[in-house]
Amino acid sequence: MLELVDISKRFKKIEAVKSLNMFIEQGEIVGLLGPNGAGKSTAISILSTLIEPTQGDVRFLKESVIKKPAPLRKAIGVVPQEIALYPQLSTEENLLFFGRIYRLKGSKLKQRVNEILELIGLTEKRKALVDSFSGGMKRRLNIGVAMLHNPQILIMDEPTVGIDPQSRSYILETVKRLNKEHQMTVVYTSHYMEEVDYLCDRIYIMDQGNLIASGTKEEIKQILSSENTISIQADRWNSKFIAQLKGHESITKVHVEGDEITLITPKEVNLFSEIISMTEEYGIALRSLHVKSPTLEDVFLHLTGRALRD
Amino acid sequence: MKGILLARVREFIRNPFTFLLFTGMSIVFAWVISSMNVGGGGGGLPVPVYVEEEADSYQSSLEQQEAFQFYPVDKETLEAELREGEADTGVILYENRFDILVGVESPNAGLIQQTVQKVYTTDIQETLIGDAADAAGMEADQAVSAYKETLSDGTFDLTVNSFSGEESWKYDDNVHRIGGFALFFAIYTIAYGVVKILTEKRMGVWDRIILSPVKKSEMYIANLLYSFIEGYLQILIIFSVFYFWRGITFNDQMIEILLMLIPYALAIVAMSILITALVKNVEQFNAAISIITVSLAMIGGAFWPLEIVSNPVLLFLAKLNPIKYGLDIIQGAAVYGYSFTELLQPISILTLMAVLFTGIGIHLMEKRHI
Ligand SMILES: Nc1ncnc2c1ncn2[C@@H]1O[C@H](COP(=O)(O)OP(=O)(O)OP(=O)(O)O)[C@@H](O)[C@H]1O
Ligand SMILES: [Mg+2]
Repeated sequence: MLELVDISKRFKKIEAVKSLNMFIEQGEIVGLLGPNGAGKSTAISILSTLIEPTQGDVRFLKESVIKKPAPLRKAIGVVPQEIALYPQLSTEENLLFFGRIYRLKGSKLKQRVNEILELIGLTEKRKALVDSFSGGMKRRLNIGVAMLHNPQILIMDEPTVGIDPQSRSYILETVKRLNKEHQMTVVYTSHYMEEVDYLCDRIYIMDQGNLIASGTKEEIKQILSSENTISIQADRWNSKFIAQLKGHESITKVHVEGDEITLITPKEVNLFSEIISMTEEYGIALRSLHVKSPTLEDVFLHLTGRALRD
Repeated sequence: MKGILLARVREFIRNPFTFLLFTGMSIVFAWVISSMNVGGGGGGLPVPVYVEEEADSYQSSLEQQEAFQFYPVDKETLEAELREGEADTGVILYENRFDILVGVESPNAGLIQQTVQKVYTTDIQETLIGDAADAAGMEADQAVSAYKETLSDGTFDLTVNSFSGEESWKYDDNVHRIGGFALFFAIYTIAYGVVKILTEKRMGVWDRIILSPVKKSEMYIANLLYSFIEGYLQILIIFSVFYFWRGITFNDQMIEILLMLIPYALAIVAMSILITALVKNVEQFNAAISIITVSLAMIGGAFWPLEIVSNPVLLFLAKLNPIKYGLDIIQGAAVYGYSFTELLQPISILTLMAVLFTGIGIHLMEKRHI
């Protein structure tokens, strides 16, 4: 239904997106995952006709929309990464304003505003100024505004950044429900792999402007089928121990985060006894050592040698 | 477009403080400075005078002088004012002579001396003529008035030409102050209105509107129109306050002046959009607008009359400056009594600026901020 064909975007020196191909079908939730600066927002802006690509084409229902964006613009609701609201206006006034610019009027506008307030759970706060809101409430209204004109496709750029867990799960549930009950197509950008893992049918993973993996969750995790992901946990680490792991010929990736070290090794080698004797040698109090089922985080680690959230 | 204007008005009602601040400042500045001149009837720099008993007649002649505003004080006050720097120069009048006391060296001392000297010479001359007439058995009063008549007829015909080449330079301090400060502070109000385009772009609201069926031209027009209305409203309020409260009539031309200032407000809107297009962010804009506004006001004669400026570079820069033309309109109508057709030149220049700057500004903005 909606496609990016070999898209590149260059900002002066930075190549933010490099030959990206992407497609979105009716009714699915597609995830776009990547660390900061991966080029997600740039890709999303190109997808929603807000910036023109340096190269490549954007197609909606097989028609190029770069020169004729109107049909696509009507079909999409965009939730920007920033809070794009008037802070000095109330919830209701914001909704009325953005409803009006979509040519909604009178009782139809009022009714739609009420529906949205219900949907994002801000009916009680309709008269409150956005300025006085918590991050979570602003985020919810930021989403609500994008839904006023009842779009077919909802494009969301990191809609859960910097908010409390309740608001976050509220948003995730709402997105899931919209998709299930209203067959809404969703493009969901995030750097939280749990969110993408939970919501999305298909996933694109970007890093430094490149698409590094894409497919269904299962397909992506298959990338790690020939490897094991080993998790080691202990109270304290020893730098020599870590150096030795990094230098080990059978270990392809080492990632240290807090009290956990994640290793990626070929499936056929078994390093358990070796790791245990190394911990003894360096006096490390081992808490656990096990093979994990791979997560998207591990896929990212495998593909780039870095964690998603550095 | 109605929606955008409505949102702006709502925001304004929630937060009218910047607007009120700038309006209030214009009024206070124009009022405080011009009220210094009101009490004595004449304009000019206030000068304290201590008058010895026999010198009363000089005092009344002095108070009719326009260049300075001589006000009587007792000797202690005079000395105290000079000591504390409240006045630069003071005068003591005796029967046959006077003293100029200089507290702080200033170029005014010489002028004050000349002014007082003239009064003494004239008065003494008149007394002498009167005495002489008396002695010759003529009516003293007649002789003196005959002398005055001859004086005012003048031996030479002297004409002074000014910038317009028609009349000598006239100056109305009140009108100048009100006009100057109104035009000056209106720039801030308008500029802060226009820069909302940049704020909205950064907030992402602009993108939301772009995705909606609202046309880009509507977005620009709504924003610019709103800024124009806010700035123009401010000018209107300031003029009305002085008209109704201080009784300044602007030569019965207030409505005409206000109508002719529409191109001024439009030119400022246009200038703001041009600056908005040239800066990278709102912080840069704020810095730029403070510098530009103050320089425009100084070069354009908002704080002092341009007629006292003689530097050719500054005078040339003034020609590119909307404030100068705004003031030309105000002064032209309120002081010289010029009509619309006679002021067509500044009006057309301002209109041209409005069109030109808006065109370039929007063009640059569309090219740069993507
Ligand atoms: N308008 C722009 N001008 C210049 N460089 C830009 C612009 N927008 C983005 N970039 C650069 O392009 C790269 C990708 O940015 P982008 O915002 O698309 O990343 P992102 O994946 O959305 O990151 P984040 O998680 O921080 O939102 C970054 O290096 C960024 O600095
Ligand atoms: Mg982003």
